[in-house]
Amino acid sequence: MKFGIFFELSTPRPFTREAEWRVYHNALAQCRLADELGFDHVWVVEHHFLEGYSHSSSPEAFLAAVAAQTKRIRLGHGAVVCVPEINHPIRVAERAAALDILSNGRLELGTARSSTWTELGGFEVNPDDTKKTWEEFVRVLPQMWMKDEFEWQGKSFSMPARNVLPKPCQEPHPPMWVTVTSPGTELDAADRGLGCLGVSAAGYEEQERRTKEYHRRIKLCDPVGEVINDQVHTMNFLYCHEDYRQARDIGIPMVTSFNIANAHLYWTREAYPTNAYQTLGNAGIGMKPKKPASDDPSVAKGLPEGVGVGDPEHLAQTIKRWESVGVTGINFLLNAMEMIPPEQVMESMRLFAREVMPQFQSAEEREAPVYSPTTIPDFAQGEI
Amino acid sequence: MIVGTANIEKLAESAPTIDHYLKDTVEFEGVTCFQMTVEMRKGAREAVLPPGLHPTIPAAISFQVWEVENSIWGPFTAAICRITCRSGVRARGFTSAAYVSVEEVSKEFAGSFGFPSEVADIRFRHSYDGVDIQLIRSGKEILSVSSLDPEPMGLNDVQYTGNMNLAHTPNGLRLVQLEVNHAATRVERLTSRLISFDPLAWGNELLDPYHMVSSSIASETISIPPVRFVCKPDELAFTGTESI
Repeated sequence: MKFGIFFELSTPRPFTREAEWRVYHNALAQCRLADELGFDHVWVVEHHFLEGYSHSSSPEAFLAAVAAQTKRIRLGHGAVVCVPEINHPIRVAERAAALDILSNGRLELGTARSSTWTELGGFEVNPDDTKKTWEEFVRVLPQMWMKDEFEWQGKSFSMPARNVLPKPCQEPHPPMWVTVTSPGTELDAADRGLGCLGVSAAGYEEQERRTKEYHRRIKLCDPVGEVINDQVHTMNFLYCHEDYRQARDIGIPMVTSFNIANAHLYWTREAYPTNAYQTLGNAGIGMKPKKPASDDPSVAKGLPEGVGVGDPEHLAQTIKRWESVGVTGINFLLNAMEMIPPEQVMESMRLFAREVMPQFQSAEEREAPVYSPTTIPDFAQGEI
Repeated sequence: MIVGTANIEKLAESAPTIDHYLKDTVEFEGVTCFQMTVEMRKGAREAVLPPGLHPTIPAAISFQVWEVENSIWGPFTAAICRITCRSGVRARGFTSAAYVSVEEVSKEFAGSFGFPSEVADIRFRHSYDGVDIQLIRSGKEILSVSSLDPEPMGLNDVQYTGNMNLAHTPNGLRLVQLEVNHAATRVERLTSRLISFDPLAWGNELLDPYHMVSSSIASETISIPPVRFVCKPDELAFTGTESI
């Protein structure tokens, strides 16, 4: 089981320059601590114009700072919006390769297509096209990274033969992922040999069904690159405290606040008739804390099912349950709108690393390089 | 979490009265439903919604025009202007104004569903090449839309959201949650142009639709089930929702 943290860089109103500065620097401090504590991944999303919900429009810049301030934790650039009006694929390949070099081969590249009208409309993207452009992106990126001369005649972009530079550090290229909000996207991931980066938590049974099918399909995949990434990560929240009551009273409002902010996004399907967005893409609704079954020991504590809020014992049980349904990693959102003071967030991380993580990873595992289906060359593994 | 800032007392002045809630579903058959979404500027975002609702970002107006062939009140045409919003976590449209072509039906729209409806001359031409809509009230044009190039879509490719209609109800002044079901048999997407729009006629001088997002036309049956919930207009839905 791998443990990650992930950031929307949500920002409380009023949006002062200082508020945004604090959000960014608190998150950077949490990345440094996560690296020290043995967390495996840090994911930083790409969103545009989503007031309050996410001020993370340049994750590559944020991750460059993380790369410089950490040693072991792998950097999840994701997901990159694979729509040419927002990111040209050549620029995605170039930025990702540079990040991979600067982080000594620690880059993971997530891919997505955006699901809000706020974003797609802001860049004047035709929603009908985003699935097609995503497909084109995930197929060309590995080639741009691997070939000395790459040319392309496609739908969303074309280019004459050029050497896209620099090349990434990892061989043959960084692992790739797809963010999965809508049911069925996990199968798109499997068929292309891409990791499944869940951003909305289904219930245990639904997740088990989807994970099983993902693992079955990826064995038969036609990979888009030279790396098959068969990891299934899900998104969750983290607030860990010795006293479950405090965990509940502080953590649940954070979860609720995130879910409300998510539900308030202006989804593409609501604004624009299209068959390319069949659900509202509403991650928050899916992540609503669920009431546990009556025989669940957390009932007496009033803790929600499947959510990483509680005392260490509850969290260990919750993670074991996710592990039992085939999930190979969990990425935790640590805060929302800075509702939890930064020092309390760090305390929660420390307690989780001290009491819960050792139940899933040995000390040696937490010090060794984080698993990747790629090869990191020797030159990038030592000190310069 | 941003919320509306409209003055409720002022909104209440034009709110209709629902004496009693309907117990049965009302069905409209042979409906041609035009829906159009247009973005508004930020200035109106919070100012046009009551404090119990949250605006979307960007703020937007969703127009609907229903041409109904068959209803318990006979044929009629209705035009409804809704501000896109959230009630709690649910996607909704707050009705700022509504017009109906037949006076008797306009009264039913107000008294049964809480639409702030008035009578207007609604001209709705739809053909193979496009759609033209014009609303005339007291001899003055208050809306004109021209749409071209109908493009067939899947039956589930259009999303309709429920209405929040401010009305004096047996519970007091409330936002009535109207869940309008649309069962389509044919859907087309259009390219539309908003030619004229009179903001005062549509409920608020601050309304300023300026950026066209989308439009569609559908052949469908509309059903409006009995109201199940109402919300206090000055309280968030999380605490201010009452079941009927």
